[in-house]
Amino acid sequence: MKMVIALMKDRRPFRALIQRAGLCVFALTCLGNGVVVSQETQIPDWLEDRMSLRTSNRRDNGDMIALVRPLTEAIGESVVQVVSVGKVVALGVIVSEDGYVLTKRSELSVDPIRVRLASGQLLPARVAAVRRVNDLALLRIDEVGKPLKPASFVDVTPPVGAFLVSAGRGGNPIGLGSVGVGSRKVEHSGRLGVQLYNSDGKATVEVVLPASGAEAAGVEPGDKILAINGREESNSSSVMRVLREMFPGENVRLTILRGSEKMNLDAKIRDLGVMLESENDSKVNGQRSARLSGFEKVIQHDTVLDPSECGGPVVDSQGRVIGINIARAGRVVSYALPASVVMQDVSDMLNDARSSR
Amino acid sequence: MFIDHHFSFLAKCVYNVSLSLVADLRVRPQSIVRTFLISFVASPKSMREFLRSYRIFATLLIGMSVLGVGILATYPARADQNESLLRPSLPDSPTVSSNETLVEIPQSLTEIYVQGGVPKSLPQLIEMEQQQQRVAGRIGACTVNVAIGPAQGCGVIVTASGYVLTAAHVGMRPGKSAIITFSNGRTAKATTLGMNRGVDAGLMKINDGQNDGKPWQYANLGRSENLVAGMWCIAAGHPGGFDRERGPVARVGRILKVRDESIVTDCALIGGDSGGPLFDLTGRLIAVHSRIGNDVADNLHIPIEHYDMSWNRLAASEAWGYLPGFKPVLGVRGDPTSAVAKIEVVKIGSPAEEAGIRTGDVIEQFGDAVISDFNSLTAAVADTMPGERALCWIIRKGERIRLSVEIGRDD
Repeated sequence: MKMVIALMKDRRPFRALIQRAGLCVFALTCLGNGVVVSQETQIPDWLEDRMSLRTSNRRDNGDMIALVRPLTEAIGESVVQVVSVGKVVALGVIVSEDGYVLTKRSELSVDPIRVRLASGQLLPARVAAVRRVNDLALLRIDEVGKPLKPASFVDVTPPVGAFLVSAGRGGNPIGLGSVGVGSRKVEHSGRLGVQLYNSDGKATVEVVLPASGAEAAGVEPGDKILAINGREESNSSSVMRVLREMFPGENVRLTILRGSEKMNLDAKIRDLGVMLESENDSKVNGQRSARLSGFEKVIQHDTVLDPSECGGPVVDSQGRVIGINIARAGRVVSYALPASVVMQDVSDMLNDARSSR
Repeated sequence: MFIDHHFSFLAKCVYNVSLSLVADLRVRPQSIVRTFLISFVASPKSMREFLRSYRIFATLLIGMSVLGVGILATYPARADQNESLLRPSLPDSPTVSSNETLVEIPQSLTEIYVQGGVPKSLPQLIEMEQQQQRVAGRIGACTVNVAIGPAQGCGVIVTASGYVLTAAHVGMRPGKSAIITFSNGRTAKATTLGMNRGVDAGLMKINDGQNDGKPWQYANLGRSENLVAGMWCIAAGHPGGFDRERGPVARVGRILKVRDESIVTDCALIGGDSGGPLFDLTGRLIAVHSRIGNDVADNLHIPIEHYDMSWNRLAASEAWGYLPGFKPVLGVRGDPTSAVAKIEVVKIGSPAEEAGIRTGDVIEQFGDAVISDFNSLTAAVADTMPGERALCWIIRKGERIRLSVEIGRDD
């Protein structure tokens, strides 16, 4: 049973394969001999090593998750999934009885958005307010049946070395990690990935950085950038000024003059650090959020999360909701926005949303 | 893969030392201690013996010169630290110095500390968590960033005199100058000593005279033989290199596998962490970060015992061995009996061929090493690391030319 739990927690297909193979080998040896044989004699060391030892002793093994489950289950009704184009793109937290849900903004690519409640009910929602600076969005579920149960945040700063548990929809514990360093501001280095010069008074592309959003969008050296998001830009410094305002993960529409042809290209802003890293580093970093930097204040922890598991609440060992996960930023880093930031932004966004109704 | 990191940062100096008993001394015992150390390096058999002698000596020195008998009673108790802290309730249990990492562990956590495993209840989890926090609060001061040229790794100070354990691939080879950066941004100069590349263990020392005669903050030592799978541990380091706005990052995890040459944990590491410390729940140093696999739970550390076993060789700046799959190669053959390092064969597809080395070339210098014959070239290559770039000076048809070669690895 423990093994099955471990298997299900594992997201890496290769490892899962090995483990499954291990289970098969184990099953076969038992069947074939007709007697109970010692696992050690029948399973090769490397398989035994992979299969049981390394998995069963992990800090987030089945027993540990079972131990912390009550902490996340207590807030289960307030944790939802956010579905966009039939795919779960993020988690969300209910912040008001009348249907407002907080989530990670940059994962919401296109309408329609739907929210899956703890009960399993799938309800249509729309974006009611956003806070770009911290990558937050407030969703509004228009037709809420009975009043929803909002989560209450507690403004405490978990010390370095503290355990944090991340909650999934319905309060399922989806990860356990520890606080790595004191809360701090995280600057961003969002880049389109071009070097520009002025030619004929226009911002002209000199170099396109490999692995950049500019390269992916098909920007070429010699292209003249006439406008960004429909707004005309007069020269390279004005283009740069606009681009530097953009966060990683945001999209820009570039109006470009190539030779005599005018065209529009849609490009994604990416983090410079990610563009420059080695192939090895990007392999070991695994899946990350597109918007992984540029936050007012974060709690850095090491819980292993999928990018689509951001937006959900984080609880401490006493079950207090101390913030929400806002980014998976690398192999050793997940960021959570602390309750102090969340509460302020939520209150502002609720005011915006309610006054505009 | 190795996890060093190629980045350079400017470090900010905001030094703020917390005063301790020893730092308060009016006398400056450093010069006496240094004389003692130099004469002592050759004789003890292991790091532990070395440290114990050093500490007892320092204790005597302190006891006799300034503070009297009170200190004498506590310090020797700490010199052999391994069992004493398991009895926290004893009235004469040692007072922990703010210069060290040792944290007393409550009786109720003794079992989970020794055997590992999952806490029995949430209250016990919280108790363990508080212990983690106490350890995490102490380990930043002895965890340093190590920069050698553009490469960055970590190290951990283990003596008040400034010996620093690191990974062999961070130190690269004996006698190299390194800049170490403390958590608060302060920097100091250090020199690499020996390395057992066979397990990736490296030693270095902070150059003398950089701390106004005060002791460095250091980590207390644990024992590899006490490690079992399932034990809880706390990693520290500078993932991604030194970041002065952030500082060192702690990670709490568990030991997944114990082997003679390495231990595996789920304390996630990445480039820049190499050479950083792994502590147990009492703040004892049990291993040093070495390398990682793709899986987030594949993090390998060098057990502390390897530094102990090879202390004399490491302190004497010896370098030996290589990790399987990490043997550096150039890809040339020559006559070992010849008076010069003349290249007779350049292997196809080898790093040498890629760099433009040809048959008939005579190599005069390889990196920092002056090459006299083919054996000295072999030795110079063995002293590099796969992936490293070395400048070669070569005589070709009477002309002296310079080539840059990227060292390959023998699989």
